[in-house]
Amino acid sequence: MNKPRWYLPITIVFLFLGIMLSLQFQAQTRYANDLTLQKTENLIAMVRGLSEKRQKLALEIIDLSNQLRSQLESSQDEQKLLESIQLETEKLEIVNGTVEHKGPGITVTIEDYMPIYYTDILNILNELWNAGAEAISINEHRVTSHTTISSVKINLNTERNPLSEDFYMPYITVNHRVVEYPIVMKAIGDPNNLEKALTFPGGIMDKLALFDTYPVITKMEELIIPADQSSHIHFFVSEYKPEEEEASKNNADSKKENNAKNTNAKNTNAKDSNTLRLEKTRTKLIPINPNKKP
Amino acid sequence: MWLVLPLLGLIIGAYLGSAVTFQLPAVYLKYMSIAVLASLDSVFGGIKAILEEKFDGTILLTGFFSNALLAALLTYLGDRLGVDLYYAAIFAFGVRLFHNLATIRHYCLLSFRKKRSMRQEYDGMRHGEYDE
Repeated sequence: MNKPRWYLPITIVFLFLGIMLSLQFQAQTRYANDLTLQKTENLIAMVRGLSEKRQKLALEIIDLSNQLRSQLESSQDEQKLLESIQLETEKLEIVNGTVEHKGPGITVTIEDYMPIYYTDILNILNELWNAGAEAISINEHRVTSHTTISSVKINLNTERNPLSEDFYMPYITVNHRVVEYPIVMKAIGDPNNLEKALTFPGGIMDKLALFDTYPVITKMEELIIPADQSSHIHFFVSEYKPEEEEASKNNADSKKENNAKNTNAKNTNAKDSNTLRLEKTRTKLIPINPNKKP
Repeated sequence: MWLVLPLLGLIIGAYLGSAVTFQLPAVYLKYMSIAVLASLDSVFGGIKAILEEKFDGTILLTGFFSNALLAALLTYLGDRLGVDLYYAAIFAFGVRLFHNLATIRHYCLLSFRKKRSMRQEYDGMRHGEYDE
């Protein structure tokens, strides 16, 4: 096919025409959309619509900011709650002895030659607690609500005569472990208060002095009381459900299905099963080790 | 067949024009519109020339650009002088445009009819129905 001679010029012309047309279209569209060329009525309507929209949006802003404020407040409340819970947790951790505790306090040292009985130790502990001690330990045994303080008569010194009266020496035990002398009781709290609680006239120190026992009280700037090492067994009461109860329940269910229309019968069945459950419910003690984390 | 390439040129031109970020200022909108009108007139004149078989590429190209430029310049001059040459240009180019279009239509119709009568003649000759 022969190339017509008009092919190239026409294409060039069309190319430029395309450029010019698209430029003109763009410019014209922009020009037509220009606000200055709009009719006054249209502009008034536009202004009205836009101001209404703006009012709506302003209302929305107020609404949303209120929402934001309330949300912030609630979050602050939650934060406060969380903080207080954390503080409480820390306090409880100290009380329960699950964490190491540091601070100023006093040490009460009881030497080997001082005659002492475990109730004296208990008295000293109580005085210290009353004086506001935060944490107490006896020879690295943290004193908590579970701590057992007792005494046991055993023979640690084999050189003594087995027939003598003091062959079995009373030893003080903490958590069923013999406490070796010197017994050092550490108490964290205000050192002055703690000391005064022990040494006030007619107090525990005076009572012990009657038996020639003079525990040494030392004020300390920094004391470290270790966490509770002993493992406790907690006893929780849990409901014991015998297997017959399940069977009776199943029975009742089948009865319900059978006598679907008879509501009275259903009620009596339900009552029966209820009383049955109450009768059959037993309590069982299940030991749970708290140190084992689930 | 050969119409495809000018059409392609038109499309590419339109794309280029829209892709270019240059925006025509609103002041020159009037001149541009007249230039476009002149260009359209040139293009249709060119098509007419093709149909009349008196096409000359140089005349078309020079006519295209000079018409567009002159139309814009004249409008500008009219604006300066306070004479609305704008309308004169619109009128002149509009009339020519419609005239060109009419001629194109005319030629198209003529050629179509010619082809059909020729085909009929040819068919008649083949079937022996053509009486002479």
